[in-house]
Amino acid sequence: MFKIKLPTWFVLILPAILILVAVVLIPLLLSLYSSFTPYRLTRPDTLYKWIGTYNYEKAAKSWVFWSAFGRTVLLLTIALNLEMLLGLGLALLVSRVTRGQRALRTVMMFPMMFSPILVGFQFKFIFNDNVGLVNNALQSLGVTTAAIPWLVDQKLAMFSIIFAEVWTSTSVFAILILAGLFAIPKDPLEAAKVDGCTPWQTFRHITLPFLMPFIYIALAIRSLDVARAYDIVNIMTNGGPARRTELLWTLIGRTGYVDAKMGYANAMGYVSIFMAIFFTIFFFKKLSAARAELGMAG
Amino acid sequence: MDINHQHRLKTRIGAGLRHITLFIAMSIICIPGLWIVLNSFRPTVDIMAKPPVWVPRGLNLDNYRAMFGGAGEGGVPVVQYFTNSLIISVTSTVIAILIGMAGGYAFARYRFRGKSAIFIGLLLTRAVPGVALSLPLFIVMAKTGLIDTHVGLIMVYVAMNVPFTIWLIDGFFRQVPPDLAEAAEIDGCTRWQAFWKVEFPVAKSGVASAGIFAFLTSWNEYALASQLTRSTFSKTMPVGLRDFTSEFTINWGGMCALAVLMIIPALILTFLVQKHLIAGLTFGGVKG
Amino acid sequence: MKNPLKSLLAVTTCLAMGAVLPAAAGQFDGITVEAKLIGGQQYEGLYGRIGQWEASTGATVKIVSKKNHFELDKEFKSDLAAGTTGWCVGSNHSSFAPQYPSLYTDLSPFMDADEVAGFVPAMISASTVSGKLVMLPRAQFDVSVLYYQKSLYEDDAKKAAFKTEYGYDLAPPATLDQFKDQAIFFADPPNFYGTQYAGKDEGASGRFYEMVVANGGRMFNDDWTPGFNSDAGKEALGWFVDLYKAGAVPPGTTSYLWDELGAGFASGTIALNLDWPGWSGYFNDPESSKAAGDVGLVVQPMGSAGIHTGWSGHHGFSVTEKCPTPEAAASLVAFLTNEASQIAESAGGSLPTRTAVWEHVVKAAEGDEFRSSALNVFKQGATHAFPVPKTPYWIEASNLIYPELQAAILGDKTVDQALQDAADAVDEMMQENGVY
Repeated sequence: MFKIKLPTWFVLILPAILILVAVVLIPLLLSLYSSFTPYRLTRPDTLYKWIGTYNYEKAAKSWVFWSAFGRTVLLLTIALNLEMLLGLGLALLVSRVTRGQRALRTVMMFPMMFSPILVGFQFKFIFNDNVGLVNNALQSLGVTTAAIPWLVDQKLAMFSIIFAEVWTSTSVFAILILAGLFAIPKDPLEAAKVDGCTPWQTFRHITLPFLMPFIYIALAIRSLDVARAYDIVNIMTNGGPARRTELLWTLIGRTGYVDAKMGYANAMGYVSIFMAIFFTIFFFKKLSAARAELGMAG
Repeated sequence: MDINHQHRLKTRIGAGLRHITLFIAMSIICIPGLWIVLNSFRPTVDIMAKPPVWVPRGLNLDNYRAMFGGAGEGGVPVVQYFTNSLIISVTSTVIAILIGMAGGYAFARYRFRGKSAIFIGLLLTRAVPGVALSLPLFIVMAKTGLIDTHVGLIMVYVAMNVPFTIWLIDGFFRQVPPDLAEAAEIDGCTRWQAFWKVEFPVAKSGVASAGIFAFLTSWNEYALASQLTRSTFSKTMPVGLRDFTSEFTINWGGMCALAVLMIIPALILTFLVQKHLIAGLTFGGVKG
Repeated sequence: MKNPLKSLLAVTTCLAMGAVLPAAAGQFDGITVEAKLIGGQQYEGLYGRIGQWEASTGATVKIVSKKNHFELDKEFKSDLAAGTTGWCVGSNHSSFAPQYPSLYTDLSPFMDADEVAGFVPAMISASTVSGKLVMLPRAQFDVSVLYYQKSLYEDDAKKAAFKTEYGYDLAPPATLDQFKDQAIFFADPPNFYGTQYAGKDEGASGRFYEMVVANGGRMFNDDWTPGFNSDAGKEALGWFVDLYKAGAVPPGTTSYLWDELGAGFASGTIALNLDWPGWSGYFNDPESSKAAGDVGLVVQPMGSAGIHTGWSGHHGFSVTEKCPTPEAAASLVAFLTNEASQIAESAGGSLPTRTAVWEHVVKAAEGDEFRSSALNVFKQGATHAFPVPKTPYWIEASNLIYPELQAAILGDKTVDQALQDAADAVDEMMQENGVY
């Protein structure tokens, strides 16, 4: 009998690869193909027409596309950095609390329990300039008499979206970093204390390096996951007004589903995928470097 | 005496500041959520009132009653949505964890060619925005008859969660020194036993974290669910939220009520898992 | 039997009457009709009648999908893409119908001429795409009329001040110019605004469209080149821009759509509101609206060409091309839109699309002063109604137009520039789609 002995690691990884091929890879190839066609949802026959790189060229020449691209990169950068810093701060604060830690941690994870569309509706309402919570509070407290157009003004709208996104995801960072904090071996910390280091020095030279792998994991996952922000932005502003908050995903979503121009939408989608790939590889390299430093590389 | 006094004062101020900052942070986190909970007990006219009604004039369960009512009264098949969400989320989480553990262990403990490439490849599948994926996925699933089924959605969520669980569990397994397992094997355990008795308990917090993330992702996912479900047979609660929005209006009261219903299980589960999330790691067992 | 002949006559008459109604007893025994219907409180009442049809024809209706408007549209498009269009009955809307030229079948072969004649002719013409009668309208018809706060017009001080400032008597506006004057006059930001308008998506484009028509212009020329970059178009866009600049509308109006607008008027902070009939009950209900008891209605105003605005739409039901049992499906659709069904549905407050049912609805409202006067206005408004331009690219064009409208309103671009950019974009889109 011819028996193949598969290496253990292969067997262990196989299920993951299989499911991802089935659910992600195959549809992805389909959409890659369609990006070379003038595929319209309402005219399925257009799927069989090959137009080469027309869609990509159109996207490359489109000012609307590039400004959405730029805005998306900006949003990602600001949001991720804010989430990381706030998450770190929050984790540090929570780790020091002695009583009611469990309840506190649960409360901290509160935003993670909200569906993105719920967050979208919630903040759309809260930031509504006429009946929204924020304006009403500001007016009641006498801070201002004007109705601040949170979802209309260029900067305020971006701020509102970033606020909503940071609100949703800071908890993710916080909980990951918190777990990392608890995973730090006690010996080096105690040794530092005995040697007379200030809390800041302990943090900077011992805690932080240990946390870096967790931070990079969170950053990479979040950078991929920010596509979840699509639901939030779609509901809050849908890229408007006047395309002021147009992000890649709202543009792609509208072009693909409302305009039914799937071919073009997929071409734009692939450009955004390349961008995500770049972010991921960047963070992964940083992660490996951090791990090597800690001697955990393998 | 003076120095001690000063030091104690500083510590107390420090603690005080920390508590205040924590309180403010927690408030920002909680207020939108509490707003939703509050609104679920108020009629829509109070929610939209201007000038705003800060102190609720009379809380009632009308929104909840309407939600559970018949079709004409604004009722929504809540129980079915809830069941579907529960089945789909729990199943996909369990499967994702199993696959994740297998994969994470492989990456943490073995060396092989193309390891980094495969790892990055797995992660990159997450890079695909749901919006670009949902239509081709729909077409593939329509041809294979998986639309509006539990199985279809479970498979999709497992695929969504696997990269993250693998990465997280891999990270935690790396924290566990191989010496632990080797020590167990020397003492007579097989590789399999060594894993379950020694390495797994130590990486439990990783598994718990991964589990909670996977569950919450599946529980709250909307974009793919709305595309791949059709009827109450498989519709999940986030899709059900949209039932409260129509061409012309948003039924805020009803939506908030359903939102509260969605949050409660997530809240309970998170609270229960907290203990394992931060299971203490001790390295003393080996390093002595 | 006492008189067999009489009984036979009675039975025959019943059967004959049954034959006039498209559904005959037991005709579709054993057939299952799959339906994808629009969900939501206002639409669900009608579905209670499905049981009657099932009982009388022996068929079963299986509702395989019930979602809201946007989701349903997405689902239909996905089905078209995947080729899974074998289900039978679908909810449709006159603004969306032109988008699916290949999805639905012509219903005229399945219908009696009298049945079709019972509908308001304008509805049938709006339901006809490329010569095919693709849908039968249900009792969900919409055209916007002008709501206003009555107390503002009964205030003597305001009347005097207005006459001094503008030179004519204060009365609910009959023209768009009067509308603008009065909105600016009543505005007192941030607590009170003169009016509000839909600021995004098809809502904004639709409102713009009806103003262009009211000013004597056209959205598209006969060859489908963009026609809104004209004097009429500039005047229309100018109306929105001037109101925004004068602070007569809430600053967030560019992201408002129907629910925000409804909530806005109901919160009592808006003086004039061009809005849909479905809101009348909500606006006058003290449980939900601060403006209850103070709501006046008047027919929608005219533009500079003496034409009233009247962007309208109606819901309906369609049968797919690929349906294996079109007779049964058509029968169901006819049943859900026949006179009895429309009477039942409009009792919930929506407007009918059958001439006979209009009279019935008006009669039924006698005694309810508000509802009677509202219905009167709706009826008048309906005479000025017109549907969206019948091109399959209306939605796509709208998505290119509204960001430019927003840019002009917010002051990012001048009116001329915005309209030029919009026209260029629509032109390019039309060419790309092979229209010319």
